[in-house]
Amino acid sequence: MVKLDINSFFNVVLLTSVLTLLGIFVYGFTGWNIIISLTTWTGLTPTYEIKGLQSYLTALSNPVFLKSFSNNIILLGFFISGSILIGLLLAIALDQMERGAGPLRTFFVLPFTISYVVAGTLWAWMYTPGEGVIDSILGALGLGFLDIGWIANPRLSIYCIILTMIWQFSGYTMIILLAGIKSVPFSQIAAARVDGATSFSLYRHIVIPQIKQPLFIAFAVLFAFGVKTFALIWTLTAGGPGVSSYILSLHMYRTSFASFQFAEGAAIATIMLMLVLVVIVPYLYIMREK
Amino acid sequence: MKPSRLAMSLIVIVLMIFSFLPIWSAITTSLKTASEIRRTSPLIPSSLYFANFGGAWAKLGRPMQNSLIFTIFATLFSTVLGSMLGYLLTKVKFRWANHVFIFILFGMYLPYQSILIPLVQLMSRLGLYNTLLGMILTHTIYGIPICTLFFRNFYGFIPDSLIYASKIDGAGTWRTYLEIILPLSVIPFVVTGMYQFTRIWNDYLFGVVLTFGERTMPATVALVNLKGSFVADYGLQMAGGLLITLPTLLLYIFLGKYLIRGYVRGAIR
Repeated sequence: MVKLDINSFFNVVLLTSVLTLLGIFVYGFTGWNIIISLTTWTGLTPTYEIKGLQSYLTALSNPVFLKSFSNNIILLGFFISGSILIGLLLAIALDQMERGAGPLRTFFVLPFTISYVVAGTLWAWMYTPGEGVIDSILGALGLGFLDIGWIANPRLSIYCIILTMIWQFSGYTMIILLAGIKSVPFSQIAAARVDGATSFSLYRHIVIPQIKQPLFIAFAVLFAFGVKTFALIWTLTAGGPGVSSYILSLHMYRTSFASFQFAEGAAIATIMLMLVLVVIVPYLYIMREK
Repeated sequence: MKPSRLAMSLIVIVLMIFSFLPIWSAITTSLKTASEIRRTSPLIPSSLYFANFGGAWAKLGRPMQNSLIFTIFATLFSTVLGSMLGYLLTKVKFRWANHVFIFILFGMYLPYQSILIPLVQLMSRLGLYNTLLGMILTHTIYGIPICTLFFRNFYGFIPDSLIYASKIDGAGTWRTYLEIILPLSVIPFVVTGMYQFTRIWNDYLFGVVLTFGERTMPATVALVNLKGSFVADYGLQMAGGLLITLPTLLLYIFLGKYLIRGYVRGAIR
Protein backbone atom coordinates (compact mmCIF):
# COMPACT_ATOMS: atom_id res chain seq x y z
CA MET A 1 0.00 0.00 0.00
CA VAL A 2 1.14 3.53 -0.68
CA LYS A 3 0.46 6.21 1.84
CA LEU A 4 -2.24 8.73 1.02
CA ASP A 5 -0.67 12.02 0.18
CA ILE A 6 -3.02 14.26 2.06
CA ASN A 7 -1.29 17.30 0.59
CA SER A 8 -2.28 16.17 -2.85
CA PHE A 9 -4.92 18.64 -3.90
CA PHE A 10 -6.61 16.08 -6.11
CA ASN A 11 -7.00 13.47 -3.36
CA VAL A 12 -8.49 16.00 -1.00
CA VAL A 13 -10.91 17.35 -3.60
CA LEU A 14 -12.00 13.87 -4.69
CA LEU A 15 -12.60 12.51 -1.20
CA THR A 16 -14.22 15.61 0.24
CA SER A 17 -16.51 16.18 -2.73
CA VAL A 18 -17.71 12.57 -2.87
CA LEU A 19 -18.16 12.36 0.88
CA THR A 20 -19.97 15.72 0.91
CA LEU A 21 -22.34 14.66 -1.88
CA LEU A 22 -23.13 11.34 -0.20
CA GLY A 23 -23.31 13.15 3.12
CA ILE A 24 -26.04 15.38 1.72
CA PHE A 25 -27.92 12.93 -0.53
CA VAL A 26 -27.82 9.92 1.78
CA TYR A 27 -27.38 11.12 5.36
CA GLY A 28 -28.57 14.71 5.11
CA PHE A 29 -31.73 13.75 3.22
CA THR A 30 -32.44 10.94 5.68
CA GLY A 31 -32.17 13.43 8.55
CA TRP A 32 -34.23 16.00 6.66
CA ASN A 33 -36.88 13.38 6.00
CA ILE A 34 -37.06 12.63 9.74
CA ILE A 35 -37.47 16.36 10.44
CA ILE A 36 -40.31 16.54 7.87
CA SER A 37 -41.95 13.60 9.60
CA LEU A 38 -42.05 15.66 12.80
CA THR A 39 -43.76 18.67 11.19
CA THR A 40 -47.36 19.39 10.26
CA TRP A 41 -46.64 19.59 6.51
CA THR A 42 -49.80 18.72 4.59
CA GLY A 43 -50.56 20.05 1.13
CA LEU A 44 -48.22 21.47 -1.46
CA THR A 45 -46.52 24.23 0.55
CA PRO A 46 -44.08 23.06 3.19
CA THR A 47 -44.75 24.14 6.76
CA TYR A 48 -41.90 23.48 9.11
CA GLU A 49 -43.76 23.70 12.37
CA ILE A 50 -42.52 20.91 14.59
CA LYS A 51 -45.42 18.99 16.03
CA GLY A 52 -43.59 15.98 17.51
CA LEU A 53 -44.75 12.49 16.75
CA GLN A 54 -48.24 13.48 15.56
CA SER A 55 -47.73 12.22 12.00
CA TYR A 56 -46.50 8.85 13.30
CA LEU A 57 -49.70 8.47 15.32
CA THR A 58 -51.74 9.45 12.26
CA ALA A 59 -49.81 6.93 10.16
CA LEU A 60 -50.09 4.09 12.67
CA SER A 61 -53.81 4.59 13.18
CA ASN A 62 -54.50 4.27 9.44
CA PRO A 63 -55.82 0.79 8.57
CA VAL A 64 -54.05 1.02 5.19
CA PHE A 65 -50.75 1.36 7.03
CA LEU A 66 -51.47 -1.75 9.09
CA LYS A 67 -52.44 -3.68 5.97
CA SER A 68 -49.29 -2.46 4.19
CA PHE A 69 -47.11 -3.37 7.14
CA SER A 70 -48.48 -6.88 7.53
CA ASN A 71 -48.26 -7.43 3.76
CA ASN A 72 -44.66 -6.25 3.89
CA ILE A 73 -43.84 -8.81 6.58
CA ILE A 74 -45.57 -11.58 4.58
CA LEU A 75 -43.72 -10.46 1.48
CA LEU A 76 -40.33 -10.40 3.22
CA GLY A 77 -40.89 -13.85 4.71
CA PHE A 78 -41.99 -15.66 1.57
CA PHE A 79 -39.91 -13.66 -0.89
CA ILE A 80 -36.64 -14.17 0.98
CA SER A 81 -37.20 -17.84 1.81
CA GLY A 82 -38.54 -18.63 -1.68
CA SER A 83 -35.66 -16.89 -3.47
CA ILE A 84 -33.06 -18.52 -1.24
CA LEU A 85 -34.64 -21.97 -1.61
CA ILE A 86 -34.81 -21.81 -5.42
CA GLY A 87 -31.46 -20.02 -5.60
CA LEU A 88 -29.85 -22.75 -3.52
CA LEU A 89 -31.43 -25.55 -5.57
CA LEU A 90 -30.19 -23.93 -8.78
CA ALA A 91 -26.73 -23.28 -7.34
CA ILE A 92 -26.37 -26.92 -6.29
CA ALA A 93 -27.73 -28.21 -9.60
CA LEU A 94 -25.39 -26.01 -11.64
CA ASP A 95 -22.46 -26.80 -9.39
CA GLN A 96 -22.87 -30.50 -10.18
CA MET A 97 -23.04 -30.01 -13.93
CA GLU A 98 -20.00 -30.91 -15.92
CA ARG A 99 -21.15 -29.08 -19.02
CA GLY A 100 -23.58 -26.32 -19.82
CA ALA A 101 -23.45 -24.58 -16.44
CA GLY A 102 -22.16 -21.33 -17.98
CA PRO A 103 -25.05 -20.69 -20.40
CA LEU A 104 -27.55 -21.82 -17.74
CA ARG A 105 -26.16 -19.31 -15.24
CA THR A 106 -26.62 -16.58 -17.83
CA PHE A 107 -30.13 -17.88 -18.59
CA PHE A 108 -31.30 -17.89 -14.98
CA VAL A 109 -29.98 -14.39 -14.23
CA LEU A 110 -31.88 -12.98 -17.23
CA PRO A 111 -35.07 -12.08 -15.29
CA PHE A 112 -32.94 -10.04 -12.87
CA THR A 113 -31.76 -7.78 -15.72
CA ILE A 114 -35.34 -6.92 -16.70
CA SER A 115 -36.85 -3.72 -15.34
CA TYR A 116 -39.34 -4.11 -12.50
CA VAL A 117 -41.77 -2.12 -14.60
CA VAL A 118 -41.45 -4.61 -17.45
CA ALA A 119 -41.62 -7.56 -15.06
CA GLY A 120 -44.87 -6.16 -13.65
CA THR A 121 -46.24 -5.68 -17.16
CA LEU A 122 -45.33 -9.21 -18.30
CA TRP A 123 -46.73 -10.82 -15.17
CA ALA A 124 -49.93 -8.79 -15.26
CA TRP A 125 -50.57 -10.60 -18.56
CA MET A 126 -49.54 -13.94 -17.01
CA TYR A 127 -52.05 -13.46 -14.20
CA THR A 128 -54.91 -11.93 -16.22
CA PRO A 129 -57.97 -13.95 -15.20
CA GLY A 130 -59.70 -15.82 -18.01
CA GLU A 131 -57.61 -15.10 -21.10
CA GLY A 132 -54.17 -14.58 -19.50
CA VAL A 133 -51.21 -16.93 -19.91
CA ILE A 134 -51.64 -19.00 -16.75
CA ASP A 135 -55.37 -19.46 -17.20
CA SER A 136 -55.12 -20.40 -20.86
CA ILE A 137 -52.51 -23.03 -20.00
CA LEU A 138 -54.76 -24.37 -17.25
CA GLY A 139 -57.68 -24.33 -19.67
CA ALA A 140 -55.71 -26.24 -22.30
CA LEU A 141 -54.80 -28.85 -19.69
CA GLY A 142 -58.44 -29.23 -18.71
CA LEU A 143 -57.74 -27.56 -15.37
CA GLY A 144 -59.86 -24.49 -16.01
CA PHE A 145 -61.52 -24.86 -12.59
CA LEU A 146 -58.19 -23.79 -11.09
CA ASP A 147 -58.80 -20.25 -12.32
CA ILE A 148 -58.77 -18.60 -8.93
CA GLY A 149 -58.61 -15.01 -10.05
CA TRP A 150 -54.90 -14.43 -9.35
CA ILE A 151 -54.24 -10.67 -9.10
CA ALA A 152 -57.98 -9.98 -9.23
CA ASN A 153 -58.43 -12.01 -6.06
CA PRO A 154 -57.78 -9.83 -2.98
CA ARG A 155 -56.71 -12.86 -0.95
CA LEU A 156 -54.11 -13.90 -3.54
CA SER A 157 -52.78 -10.64 -4.99
CA ILE A 158 -49.89 -10.27 -2.54
CA TYR A 159 -48.79 -13.87 -3.18
CA CYS A 160 -48.87 -13.26 -6.93
CA ILE A 161 -46.49 -10.35 -6.33
CA ILE A 162 -44.24 -12.55 -4.20
CA LEU A 163 -44.07 -15.22 -6.93
CA THR A 164 -43.10 -12.60 -9.51
CA MET A 165 -40.38 -11.27 -7.20
CA ILE A 166 -39.05 -14.79 -6.68
CA TRP A 167 -39.00 -15.13 -10.47
CA GLN A 168 -36.84 -12.01 -10.71
CA PHE A 169 -34.48 -12.67 -7.83
CA SER A 170 -33.84 -16.42 -7.59
CA GLY A 171 -31.21 -16.34 -10.37
CA TYR A 172 -29.43 -13.50 -8.65
CA THR A 173 -29.57 -15.39 -5.34
CA MET A 174 -28.20 -18.44 -7.14
CA ILE A 175 -25.14 -16.44 -8.23
CA ILE A 176 -24.39 -15.20 -4.70
CA LEU A 177 -24.65 -18.76 -3.35
CA LEU A 178 -22.75 -20.30 -6.28
CA ALA A 179 -19.84 -17.97 -5.48
CA GLY A 180 -19.88 -19.40 -1.95
CA ILE A 181 -20.10 -23.02 -3.11
CA LYS A 182 -17.19 -22.54 -5.51
CA SER A 183 -15.01 -21.29 -2.65
CA VAL A 184 -15.41 -24.52 -0.62
CA PRO A 185 -12.00 -26.25 -0.89
CA PHE A 186 -12.12 -29.04 -3.45
CA SER A 187 -10.01 -31.32 -1.20
CA GLN A 188 -12.89 -31.49 1.31
CA ILE A 189 -15.38 -32.44 -1.37
CA ALA A 190 -13.03 -35.05 -2.82
CA ALA A 191 -12.37 -36.49 0.66
CA ALA A 192 -16.10 -36.76 1.36
CA ARG A 193 -16.65 -38.46 -1.99
CA VAL A 194 -13.91 -40.99 -1.18
CA ASP A 195 -15.65 -41.67 2.13
CA GLY A 196 -18.75 -42.52 0.11
CA ALA A 197 -20.87 -39.45 0.87
CA THR A 198 -23.95 -39.10 -1.30
CA SER A 199 -24.50 -35.81 -3.10
CA PHE A 200 -27.23 -34.93 -0.65
CA SER A 201 -25.18 -35.48 2.48
CA LEU A 202 -22.18 -33.82 0.82
CA TYR A 203 -24.12 -30.60 0.39
CA ARG A 204 -25.99 -30.98 3.64
CA HIS A 205 -22.93 -31.55 5.86
CA ILE A 206 -19.95 -30.10 4.00
CA VAL A 207 -21.06 -27.36 1.63
CA ILE A 208 -24.06 -25.64 3.23
CA PRO A 209 -22.36 -25.13 6.64
CA GLN A 210 -19.56 -23.33 4.80
CA ILE A 211 -21.76 -20.95 2.86
CA LYS A 212 -23.31 -19.29 5.89
CA GLN A 213 -21.76 -15.99 4.89
CA PRO A 214 -23.15 -15.98 1.31
CA LEU A 215 -26.51 -17.05 2.73
CA PHE A 216 -26.39 -14.11 5.10
CA ILE A 217 -25.39 -11.76 2.25
CA ALA A 218 -28.31 -13.05 0.17
CA PHE A 219 -30.64 -12.59 3.13
CA ALA A 220 -29.53 -8.99 3.72
CA VAL A 221 -29.65 -7.99 0.05
CA LEU A 222 -33.06 -9.58 -0.48
CA PHE A 223 -34.34 -7.97 2.70
CA ALA A 224 -33.34 -4.52 1.46
CA PHE A 225 -34.95 -5.22 -1.94
CA GLY A 226 -38.08 -6.53 -0.23
CA VAL A 227 -38.54 -3.33 1.74
CA LYS A 228 -37.92 -0.86 -1.07
CA THR A 229 -39.61 -2.73 -3.93
CA PHE A 230 -42.11 -0.43 -5.57
CA ALA A 231 -42.24 -0.32 -9.36
CA LEU A 232 -43.04 -4.02 -9.74
CA ILE A 233 -46.09 -3.82 -7.49
CA TRP A 234 -47.11 -0.48 -8.91
CA THR A 235 -47.32 -1.98 -12.41
CA LEU A 236 -48.58 -5.44 -11.44
CA THR A 237 -51.47 -4.66 -9.10
CA ALA A 238 -51.08 -0.97 -8.16
CA GLY A 239 -51.80 -2.24 -4.65
CA GLY A 240 -55.18 -3.66 -5.55
CA PRO A 241 -57.79 -4.99 -5.62
CA GLY A 242 -58.65 -2.32 -3.06
CA VAL A 243 -55.62 -2.14 -0.81
CA SER A 244 -55.14 -5.91 -0.65
CA SER A 245 -51.60 -5.85 -2.04
CA TYR A 246 -50.37 -2.58 -0.55
CA ILE A 247 -46.95 -2.56 1.02
CA LEU A 248 -45.20 0.32 2.80
CA SER A 249 -43.42 1.67 -0.29
CA LEU A 250 -46.73 2.05 -2.13
CA HIS A 251 -48.48 3.55 0.86
CA MET A 252 -45.62 6.03 1.29
CA TYR A 253 -45.74 7.02 -2.38
CA ARG A 254 -49.52 7.47 -2.45
CA THR A 255 -49.57 9.36 0.85
CA SER A 256 -46.82 11.76 -0.27
CA PHE A 257 -47.22 12.21 -4.00
CA ALA A 258 -50.94 11.62 -4.55
CA SER A 259 -52.49 12.88 -1.29
CA PHE A 260 -49.69 15.39 -0.53
CA GLN A 261 -49.63 14.38 3.15
CA PHE A 262 -45.88 14.90 3.23
CA ALA A 263 -45.38 14.70 7.00
CA GLU A 264 -47.22 11.39 7.14
CA GLY A 265 -45.41 10.12 4.04
CA ALA A 266 -42.08 11.04 5.62
CA ALA A 267 -43.11 9.18 8.78
CA ILE A 268 -43.91 6.03 6.78
CA ALA A 269 -40.55 6.37 5.00
CA THR A 270 -38.79 6.66 8.35
CA ILE A 271 -40.48 3.49 9.56
CA MET A 272 -39.28 1.75 6.37
CA LEU A 273 -35.76 2.98 7.06
CA MET A 274 -35.92 1.54 10.60
CA LEU A 275 -37.01 -1.79 9.15
CA VAL A 276 -33.98 -1.86 6.84
CA LEU A 277 -31.58 -0.72 9.57
CA VAL A 278 -32.56 -3.66 11.81
CA VAL A 279 -30.92 -5.98 9.28
CA ILE A 280 -28.38 -3.78 7.48
CA VAL A 281 -26.56 -2.35 10.51
CA PRO A 282 -25.60 -5.78 11.89
CA TYR A 283 -24.78 -6.82 8.32
CA LEU A 284 -22.43 -3.91 7.70
CA TYR A 285 -20.90 -4.46 11.14
CA ILE A 286 -20.09 -8.09 10.32
CA MET A 287 -18.84 -7.21 6.84
CA ARG A 288 -16.53 -4.55 8.27
CA GLU A 289 -14.75 -7.19 10.36
CA LYS A 290 -13.56 -9.18 7.39
CA MET B 1 -29.15 -42.05 -14.40
CA LYS B 2 -29.31 -41.97 -10.61
CA PRO B 3 -32.68 -40.95 -9.12
CA SER B 4 -31.17 -37.88 -7.43
CA ARG B 5 -29.67 -36.75 -10.75
CA LEU B 6 -33.01 -37.25 -12.45
CA ALA B 7 -34.84 -35.26 -9.79
CA MET B 8 -32.29 -32.46 -10.10
CA SER B 9 -32.66 -32.35 -13.88
CA LEU B 10 -36.43 -32.22 -13.56
CA ILE B 11 -36.22 -29.33 -11.10
CA VAL B 12 -33.87 -27.44 -13.43
CA ILE B 13 -36.20 -27.98 -16.40
CA VAL B 14 -39.25 -26.83 -14.46
CA LEU B 15 -37.38 -23.74 -13.29
CA MET B 16 -36.21 -23.03 -16.84
CA ILE B 17 -39.82 -23.02 -17.98
CA PHE B 18 -40.77 -20.83 -15.01
CA SER B 19 -37.98 -18.38 -15.91
CA PHE B 20 -38.71 -18.18 -19.59
CA LEU B 21 -42.50 -18.49 -19.77
CA PRO B 22 -43.31 -14.80 -19.14
CA ILE B 23 -40.73 -13.66 -21.69
CA TRP B 24 -41.86 -16.19 -24.27
CA SER B 25 -45.54 -15.36 -23.93
CA ALA B 26 -44.68 -11.65 -24.17
CA ILE B 27 -42.89 -12.30 -27.47
CA THR B 28 -45.74 -14.32 -28.97
CA THR B 29 -48.43 -11.92 -27.71
CA SER B 30 -46.61 -8.85 -29.01
CA LEU B 31 -46.76 -10.29 -32.53
CA LYS B 32 -50.52 -10.92 -32.59
CA THR B 33 -53.53 -8.83 -33.49
CA ALA B 34 -56.03 -8.05 -30.74
CA SER B 35 -58.50 -10.67 -31.98
CA GLU B 36 -55.79 -13.33 -32.27
CA ILE B 37 -54.80 -12.61 -28.66
CA ARG B 38 -58.36 -13.37 -27.62
CA ARG B 39 -58.71 -16.46 -29.78
CA THR B 40 -55.32 -18.21 -29.62
CA SER B 41 -53.13 -19.60 -26.85
CA PRO B 42 -50.46 -17.17 -25.65
CA LEU B 43 -47.94 -19.98 -25.84
CA ILE B 44 -48.20 -20.50 -29.57
CA PRO B 45 -47.04 -17.89 -32.06
CA SER B 46 -49.62 -17.44 -34.79
CA SER B 47 -48.53 -14.51 -36.93
CA LEU B 48 -45.90 -11.85 -37.40
CA TYR B 49 -47.91 -8.70 -36.85
CA PHE B 50 -45.49 -5.84 -36.17
CA ALA B 51 -47.97 -3.00 -35.70
CA ASN B 52 -47.83 -3.38 -31.91
CA PHE B 53 -44.15 -2.48 -32.02
CA GLY B 54 -44.90 0.52 -34.20
CA GLY B 55 -47.57 1.64 -31.76
CA ALA B 56 -45.30 1.15 -28.77
CA TRP B 57 -42.43 2.98 -30.46
CA ALA B 58 -44.68 5.99 -31.09
CA LYS B 59 -45.21 6.27 -27.34
CA LEU B 60 -41.80 5.13 -26.10
CA GLY B 61 -39.37 6.40 -28.74
CA ARG B 62 -38.71 9.82 -27.27
CA PRO B 63 -38.67 8.59 -23.63
CA MET B 64 -36.18 5.91 -24.64
CA GLN B 65 -33.90 8.63 -26.00
CA ASN B 66 -34.19 10.47 -22.67
CA SER B 67 -33.34 7.28 -20.80
CA LEU B 68 -30.40 6.62 -23.08
CA ILE B 69 -28.91 10.08 -22.48
CA PHE B 70 -29.10 10.16 -18.70
CA THR B 71 -28.23 6.47 -18.37
CA ILE B 72 -25.04 6.79 -20.42
CA PHE B 73 -23.79 9.85 -18.55
CA ALA B 74 -24.72 8.62 -15.08
CA THR B 75 -23.16 5.22 -15.82
CA LEU B 76 -19.97 6.87 -17.01
CA PHE B 77 -19.66 9.24 -14.06
CA SER B 78 -20.54 6.75 -11.33
CA THR B 79 -18.27 4.05 -12.76
CA VAL B 80 -15.25 6.35 -13.06
CA LEU B 81 -15.79 7.70 -9.55
CA GLY B 82 -16.28 4.17 -8.23
CA SER B 83 -13.01 3.10 -9.80
CA MET B 84 -11.07 6.01 -8.28
CA LEU B 85 -12.63 5.47 -4.85
CA GLY B 86 -12.13 1.70 -5.03
CA TYR B 87 -8.46 2.37 -5.75
CA LEU B 88 -8.08 4.82 -2.87
CA LEU B 89 -9.78 2.37 -0.50
CA THR B 90 -7.66 -0.66 -1.39
CA LYS B 91 -4.26 0.54 -2.53
CA VAL B 92 -3.71 3.81 -0.72
CA LYS B 93 -3.17 3.74 2.99
CA PHE B 94 -5.03 6.30 5.03
CA ARG B 95 -6.66 6.39 8.43
CA TRP B 96 -10.39 5.72 8.55
CA ALA B 97 -10.33 3.97 5.16
CA ASN B 98 -12.66 1.27 6.52
CA HIS B 99 -14.98 3.83 8.04
CA VAL B 100 -15.06 5.81 4.81
CA PHE B 101 -15.99 2.61 2.98
CA ILE B 102 -18.87 1.81 5.34
CA PHE B 103 -19.99 5.46 5.09
CA ILE B 104 -20.11 5.13 1.30
CA LEU B 105 -21.56 1.60 1.24
CA PHE B 106 -24.61 2.33 3.38
CA GLY B 107 -26.20 4.25 0.52
CA MET B 108 -26.53 0.99 -1.38
CA TYR B 109 -29.06 -0.43 1.07
CA LEU B 110 -30.93 2.78 1.73
CA PRO B 111 -34.65 2.47 0.93
CA TYR B 112 -34.95 5.41 -1.47
CA GLN B 113 -38.39 6.26 -0.12
CA SER B 114 -36.65 7.69 2.92
CA ILE B 115 -34.85 10.34 0.84
CA LEU B 116 -37.51 10.89 -1.80
CA ILE B 117 -39.25 13.99 -0.44
CA PRO B 118 -36.00 15.87 0.35
CA LEU B 119 -34.62 14.85 -3.06
CA VAL B 120 -37.58 16.37 -4.89
CA GLN B 121 -37.32 19.49 -2.73
CA LEU B 122 -33.61 20.02 -3.40
CA MET B 123 -33.91 19.31 -7.11
CA SER B 124 -36.71 21.88 -7.42
CA ARG B 125 -34.65 24.39 -5.43
CA LEU B 126 -31.64 23.84 -7.72
CA GLY B 127 -33.79 24.16 -10.83
CA LEU B 128 -32.95 20.57 -11.74
CA TYR B 129 -36.46 19.21 -11.31
CA ASN B 130 -37.72 17.77 -14.60
CA THR B 131 -34.32 17.99 -16.30
CA LEU B 132 -32.05 15.29 -17.67
CA LEU B 133 -29.21 16.90 -15.73
CA GLY B 134 -31.13 16.27 -12.51
CA MET B 135 -31.57 12.62 -13.48
CA ILE B 136 -27.85 12.31 -14.27
CA LEU B 137 -26.88 13.87 -10.94
CA THR B 138 -29.30 11.71 -8.93
CA HIS B 139 -28.32 8.44 -10.57
CA THR B 140 -24.62 9.25 -10.39
CA ILE B 141 -24.71 9.95 -6.67
CA TYR B 142 -26.83 6.97 -5.70
CA GLY B 143 -24.70 4.78 -7.97
CA ILE B 144 -21.42 5.65 -6.22
CA PRO B 145 -21.87 3.13 -3.35
CA ILE B 146 -22.30 0.03 -5.50
CA CYS B 147 -19.62 1.11 -8.00
CA THR B 148 -17.15 1.68 -5.17
CA LEU B 149 -18.01 -1.75 -3.77
CA PHE B 150 -17.48 -3.49 -7.12
CA PHE B 151 -14.13 -1.82 -7.80
CA ARG B 152 -12.93 -2.28 -4.24
CA ASN B 153 -13.57 -6.01 -4.48
CA PHE B 154 -11.84 -6.24 -7.86
CA TYR B 155 -8.82 -4.21 -6.83
CA GLY B 156 -8.42 -6.46 -3.80
CA PHE B 157 -7.14 -9.07 -6.28
CA ILE B 158 -4.39 -6.83 -7.67
CA PRO B 159 -1.15 -7.56 -5.79
CA ASP B 160 0.26 -4.69 -3.74
CA SER B 161 3.73 -5.48 -5.10
CA LEU B 162 2.71 -3.89 -8.41
CA ILE B 163 1.95 -0.68 -6.55
CA TYR B 164 5.28 -0.79 -4.71
CA ALA B 165 7.15 -1.28 -7.95
CA SER B 166 5.47 1.74 -9.45
CA LYS B 167 6.12 3.74 -6.27
CA ILE B 168 9.82 2.87 -6.39
CA ASP B 169 9.87 4.08 -9.97
CA GLY B 170 8.79 7.41 -8.56
CA ALA B 171 5.17 7.46 -9.75
CA GLY B 172 2.66 9.35 -7.61
CA THR B 173 -0.70 8.03 -6.45
CA TRP B 174 -2.58 8.96 -9.60
CA ARG B 175 0.15 8.20 -12.09
CA THR B 176 0.17 4.71 -10.57
CA TYR B 177 -3.58 4.61 -11.04
CA LEU B 178 -3.36 5.63 -14.68
CA GLU B 179 -0.39 3.45 -15.57
CA ILE B 180 -0.90 0.33 -13.46
CA ILE B 181 -4.50 0.10 -12.26
CA LEU B 182 -6.51 1.38 -15.24
CA PRO B 183 -5.00 -1.03 -17.79
CA LEU B 184 -6.01 -3.89 -15.45
CA SER B 185 -9.53 -2.53 -15.04
CA VAL B 186 -11.19 -3.50 -18.32
CA ILE B 187 -13.24 -6.34 -16.81
CA PRO B 188 -14.39 -4.40 -13.72
CA PHE B 189 -15.36 -1.48 -15.96
CA VAL B 190 -17.40 -3.81 -18.17
CA VAL B 191 -19.07 -5.49 -15.17
CA THR B 192 -19.76 -2.32 -13.22
CA GLY B 193 -20.75 -0.34 -16.30
CA MET B 194 -23.19 -3.01 -17.36
CA TYR B 195 -24.68 -3.30 -13.92
CA GLN B 196 -25.10 0.45 -13.66
CA PHE B 197 -26.47 0.86 -17.16
CA THR B 198 -29.09 -1.80 -16.48
CA ARG B 199 -29.98 -0.43 -13.05
CA ILE B 200 -30.35 3.17 -14.21
CA TRP B 201 -32.13 2.28 -17.44
CA ASN B 202 -34.59 0.13 -15.46
CA ASP B 203 -35.26 2.63 -12.68
CA TYR B 204 -38.79 3.91 -12.25
CA LEU B 205 -38.99 5.57 -8.83
CA PHE B 206 -36.60 8.49 -9.43
CA GLY B 207 -38.02 9.01 -12.90
CA VAL B 208 -41.61 9.21 -11.74
CA VAL B 209 -40.96 11.74 -8.96
CA LEU B 210 -38.36 13.88 -10.76
CA THR B 211 -39.81 14.21 -14.27
CA PHE B 212 -43.06 14.75 -16.12
CA GLY B 213 -43.81 15.04 -19.81
CA GLU B 214 -42.28 13.51 -22.90
CA ARG B 215 -39.18 15.70 -23.02
CA THR B 216 -37.63 14.30 -19.86
CA MET B 217 -39.51 11.20 -18.72
CA PRO B 218 -37.67 7.87 -18.77
CA ALA B 219 -38.91 4.94 -20.87
CA THR B 220 -40.06 3.07 -17.75
CA VAL B 221 -42.42 5.90 -16.80
CA ALA B 222 -43.72 6.03 -20.37
CA LEU B 223 -44.40 2.27 -20.26
CA VAL B 224 -46.45 2.62 -17.09
CA ASN B 225 -48.43 5.45 -18.71
CA LEU B 226 -48.97 3.29 -21.79
CA LYS B 227 -50.11 0.39 -19.61
CA GLY B 228 -52.49 2.72 -17.79
CA SER B 229 -54.05 4.24 -20.89
CA PHE B 230 -54.43 1.08 -23.02
CA VAL B 231 -55.61 -1.21 -20.26
CA ALA B 232 -56.60 -4.32 -22.19
CA ASP B 233 -54.27 -3.93 -25.18
CA TYR B 234 -51.86 -6.69 -24.20
CA GLY B 235 -50.19 -6.81 -27.61
CA LEU B 236 -49.17 -3.17 -27.28
CA GLN B 237 -48.12 -3.60 -23.64
CA MET B 238 -45.94 -6.62 -24.38
CA ALA B 239 -44.37 -4.88 -27.37
CA GLY B 240 -43.60 -1.88 -25.16
CA GLY B 241 -42.10 -4.07 -22.46
CA LEU B 242 -39.90 -5.89 -24.96
CA LEU B 243 -38.86 -2.66 -26.66
CA ILE B 244 -37.63 -1.25 -23.35
CA THR B 245 -35.83 -4.48 -22.52
CA LEU B 246 -34.01 -4.62 -25.86
CA PRO B 247 -30.96 -2.38 -25.08
CA THR B 248 -30.17 -4.07 -21.77
CA LEU B 249 -30.93 -7.49 -23.25
CA LEU B 250 -28.44 -6.98 -26.10
CA LEU B 251 -25.84 -5.80 -23.59
CA TYR B 252 -26.54 -8.85 -21.46
CA ILE B 253 -26.39 -11.32 -24.36
CA PHE B 254 -23.01 -10.03 -25.51
CA LEU B 255 -21.34 -9.18 -22.21
CA GLY B 256 -23.41 -11.10 -19.67
CA LYS B 257 -20.80 -13.79 -19.07
CA TYR B 258 -18.39 -11.13 -17.76
CA LEU B 259 -21.07 -9.86 -15.40
CA ILE B 260 -21.78 -13.38 -14.12
CA ARG B 261 -18.07 -14.11 -13.78
CA GLY B 262 -17.68 -10.89 -11.85
CA TYR B 263 -20.56 -11.85 -9.57
CA VAL B 264 -19.16 -15.33 -8.98
CA ARG B 265 -15.76 -13.87 -8.12
CA GLY B 266 -17.43 -11.94 -5.37
CA ALA B 267 -18.30 -8.56 -6.81
CA ILE B 268 -21.40 -8.34 -4.62
CA ARG B 269 -20.83 -8.40 -0.88
